[in-house]
Amino acid sequence: MLRKKALFMSLLSFSLIAGTVNAEDVLKVGVQAPITGSYANEGQGIDNATRLMAEQINAKGGVLGQKIEVITCDDEGTAMKAAICAKDLVNKGVKMVIGSYTSTCAEAAQATYFRAGVLQTSDGTSDTLTEHGYWTFFRNSFPNSAEATFVAKYFLTEKKYQRIAILSDFSSYADGLATAVEKAVKNAGGNIVAREKIKAGSQNFTPILTRLKSKKPDVIFSAGYYSDGGLIRAQMKALGIKADFVGGDANDNPDFVKLAGTAAEGAYIINVPTPELLPYDLAKDFLKAYQTKYNMMPPSIWTLLNVDGMRAFVHAMETNKDLDTKKAADFLHTLKDFPGITGSISFAPDGNRVGSGYMAYQIQKDGSYKIMFK
Amino acid sequence: MDIFLQQLANGLTIGSMFALIALGYTMVYGVMKLINFAHGDLVAASAFVGLFIFTNLFGSGTSIFIAIAVFLLTAVVIAICGVFLERVAYRPLRTAPRLSAVVSALGASMVIQNGIMLLWGPQLKIFPDLIPQVYWDLGGVVISLIQVLIMAFSLILMIALYIFIEKTKMGTAIRASSIDQDAARLMGINVNNIIVTIFVIGTSLGAVGGLFIGLYYKGITFNMGWQYGLNAFIAAIIGGIGNIPGAMLGGMLLGLFNAFIAGYVSSTWADAFTFTLLIVILIFRPTGILGERVAEKV
Repeated sequence: MLRKKALFMSLLSFSLIAGTVNAEDVLKVGVQAPITGSYANEGQGIDNATRLMAEQINAKGGVLGQKIEVITCDDEGTAMKAAICAKDLVNKGVKMVIGSYTSTCAEAAQATYFRAGVLQTSDGTSDTLTEHGYWTFFRNSFPNSAEATFVAKYFLTEKKYQRIAILSDFSSYADGLATAVEKAVKNAGGNIVAREKIKAGSQNFTPILTRLKSKKPDVIFSAGYYSDGGLIRAQMKALGIKADFVGGDANDNPDFVKLAGTAAEGAYIINVPTPELLPYDLAKDFLKAYQTKYNMMPPSIWTLLNVDGMRAFVHAMETNKDLDTKKAADFLHTLKDFPGITGSISFAPDGNRVGSGYMAYQIQKDGSYKIMFK
Repeated sequence: MDIFLQQLANGLTIGSMFALIALGYTMVYGVMKLINFAHGDLVAASAFVGLFIFTNLFGSGTSIFIAIAVFLLTAVVIAICGVFLERVAYRPLRTAPRLSAVVSALGASMVIQNGIMLLWGPQLKIFPDLIPQVYWDLGGVVISLIQVLIMAFSLILMIALYIFIEKTKMGTAIRASSIDQDAARLMGINVNNIIVTIFVIGTSLGAVGGLFIGLYYKGITFNMGWQYGLNAFIAAIIGGIGNIPGAMLGGMLLGLFNAFIAGYVSSTWADAFTFTLLIVILIFRPTGILGERVAEKV
């Protein structure tokens, strides 16, 4: 027994030494994002931006003298792969994880990061993400409930829609957003004529849209992702549905316009400001660097929100003069107005980002966005 | 009423695509008694090949001649792939136990799927508007040009195939080989040639189906073959696997069934209902709707 204990102690001390030696080398930052699959261009955006930010931080001497090393794991946008990624990144010894893009993947990985004490920041907007009480999780975007309040206000006071239909898929994000919008609209006295669910990626939405047509909605709110939203918009036009199309924040992607084709014109999208509309100098500088390095714009605002999460983590470690993740989390839970690329960053004690800056855009004939309401 | 008619139009469009793909399954099964699981992935490949041919040979522009050229070239490329697949994955296993061929088919399916991913990447690709977006509103029922073309061309191809199988000498040879390969061989029919012909016809029809999917839905992904392959496979079984008119009927029925279930019951449960339909049909008619009860060869 004693020998066993001694062995254990020596192993422990050995691993502690090994740990500190390692930690002095580099600060490992994990990226968990859908590099392949339906949401590939968003995932690649997050990966590209994290690497660029790491480069910029390293050029200034790193974090507390340590260079950042980025390790990417492709979760393919599926919960199963996300759980595997989480274990993999934890085993590789990352201190913080940026991602994932979808709420489903972020949620599937959360518990693993929490148990390992690894900080995680995701743009996932599903309200459930911050309801588990994990001190390791920080949302870098704004929750569905904030978007839902905005949507309800826009629908009822600005557009005065009488008959509202809501579509979503089964993912945590889309279903959460649709439920939140339904609740917010009902609370504000709006009339919901239909709430339907589609299977993401099933492509043929004409049967369900035909059914919606018979309910004569003024507006169809699509809470899913752009890969389905673009097709829904195109098939609505093909079926002669005159209702407005309003897409939730995950429709904000260049592929939406390509999928919808000519039908994209006139569609509305609700999201926080798009990258090129950000007024801050930090944003302008980062976008310029991104364009120089990758020769394109980031796919959407999600890329930048995730980078802001990473910046907040680094800021916390630098202010604490300590790489300890628990201390960083304690600092972040009371963080107020840290200047970010996407506006000032403040976190609530549950890891939610405080504030909301939603806008309604209308897609123009050339595919550009016009701000309609904010 | 117009809702019913609209669902009917939706169902016939998707049903035509299912039927075209189902023919590939059923023809191969008819002669070789093999489920070609790679067929669905060849269908997906055809959408990518079509997109590649269009963007690299024609750039842009949408004339009827370009559309025809893209269809023909894609069908040729995919038919060559089909013949190659038969030569590499199935012919060496023709005398092996049937399970080996099934495993080989599943392997081929993965090779093709991952091949598409390596060649064209894992992202969603967007199909261009090869056919102009024209819609007609017929008193509440909206039909697009592409829907009419899909239904018309599928019908023409299926009638042509039916005439080919029933009226020509080659067709008679195909039917003979599907009844009894050894007897057909004794009658001087080159069964190897028949099998190659079957693969050429089956995969070309699948290629047309794949291009229709790309044109109609616009978004194509490397793994979409599984989804369409599964539905077409079910359609082939419902109609009676090995039976050519059965595959056409099964495809149309499944398309309509899908549209009406999704439209009137719940799109969430459409797949569950599809499989329930399959089970019910297999219980009451194990050989499918048009499949004939054949005495098991001893």
